[in-house]
Amino acid sequence: MHKVLIIDDSEINLTLIRALVLKLGECEPILFDMPLKALEWCRENAPDLVIVDYMMPEMDGLRFIAEFRQLPGRAEIPVLMITANDQKDVRYEALLGGANDFLTKPIDRLEFSARARNMLALRAGQKSLADRAAYLEEQVDARTKEIRERERELIFRISRAAEFRDPETGAHIQRMAHYSQIIARRMGLDEIRCKLILQAAPMHDVGKIGIPDHILLKPGRLTVEEFDVMKRHAELGHELLKDSGSEIMQTGAEIALTHHEKYDGSGYPNGLAGEAIPLFGRIVAVADVFDALTSERPYKKAWSLEDACRLLEEGRGSHFDPLCVSTFLGAWDEVLEVRQRFRDEAIPLT
Amino acid sequence: MLSSFVLDKPSIMERLGDDEEIFSMMVAMFLDDVDNNCAALQAAVQATDAVQLQREAHTIKGLLATFSDDAGADLAFALEKQARAGEVAAGAAQVPALIARVQDVAGVLRRLSGR
Repeated sequence: MHKVLIIDDSEINLTLIRALVLKLGECEPILFDMPLKALEWCRENAPDLVIVDYMMPEMDGLRFIAEFRQLPGRAEIPVLMITANDQKDVRYEALLGGANDFLTKPIDRLEFSARARNMLALRAGQKSLADRAAYLEEQVDARTKEIRERERELIFRISRAAEFRDPETGAHIQRMAHYSQIIARRMGLDEIRCKLILQAAPMHDVGKIGIPDHILLKPGRLTVEEFDVMKRHAELGHELLKDSGSEIMQTGAEIALTHHEKYDGSGYPNGLAGEAIPLFGRIVAVADVFDALTSERPYKKAWSLEDACRLLEEGRGSHFDPLCVSTFLGAWDEVLEVRQRFRDEAIPLT
Repeated sequence: MLSSFVLDKPSIMERLGDDEEIFSMMVAMFLDDVDNNCAALQAAVQATDAVQLQREAHTIKGLLATFSDDAGADLAFALEKQARAGEVAAGAAQVPALIARVQDVAGVLRRLSGR
């Protein structure tokens, strides 16, 4: 049903136009004898066609069209202006001022029907184009979401691939990623960066894929040589991820490379110190170590929370960025909540 | 002095797409409003209100044109132009003739519709 707005101060014209509009079929005429009231209606309602008289009290048709066009979303709605035969100059002005076409008085039904139908066809075209655009946007959104979801799943699987060769669990990567996000959020990073660290942190140890089993899975203490090989996982992870087109993977590369750096410069692989270590690397260092300490492994018992916190405190400024430690310990309730939520049980792959 | 109004119904019906229902409705509305329209025209003259006079003349021009009364519509248009130019006194002289014309048209339509 097309909504046809008719504005004319003459009752006889309103009645005539209403009758003609009804003859068009599938039209609902909406009548106003005062332009200001019609404008008020247009603020809340979008007509499909406006038929407006030129000479009216309060405001003439030209001003009505100008004000109507200013309303949001009303720039394209077809407008027909009714003028007397002798008002050629007004018709020109109307066409320049935003009217799409005009009708002359006395109104001729044939002319009226043809022009009104043309305008309604124009409107139908506009609407179908808008619907198509909205539909396409929806499709693109859905596809984008799907791709993001696949990317997320891929990252999770890559992260777990490393774990299959390592005693660490799926719950560990979930916890350390959430701890990292808690620190990032408490440090005032924007929501996009907070989400990024949550998604990228799980890949911190992906380079362990490249470490030989006899070293990675060795139950006892590593020799110096073996530990040197083990340390290569940071660079291997970086190599694996660094050239990705995905921002998450690139961030994962940075985290993989820098999460074993230490604040005093004694870490590896590059011996970076202080703020030369990228922030995400400094954050993940705290989150990863805390969770590794407080988790049980085949070769060690879980540390108590108190002991783990003490180690973080002791490592403040040497191993860890002091601000990251304080921020982490200052968010203790959230830390416990994450610990409770991701316990060491089987985490499904998807 | 205009010659008496003769209703050219075929031309009106052509314009209205041979829709008798719409024609009857237009006649009824014209007859319902005719006295008010004439009174409004006179009131504008008495108040020497050029804007109002222009508007009322414009309305009557439209009504007469609806019934294909070109001569009557021309008279109303002349008054509309005078009022637009602010010549209320000169326009006032035209008002009795215009009112007579409107009543002439109304008389014809009354006889036609049996009202």
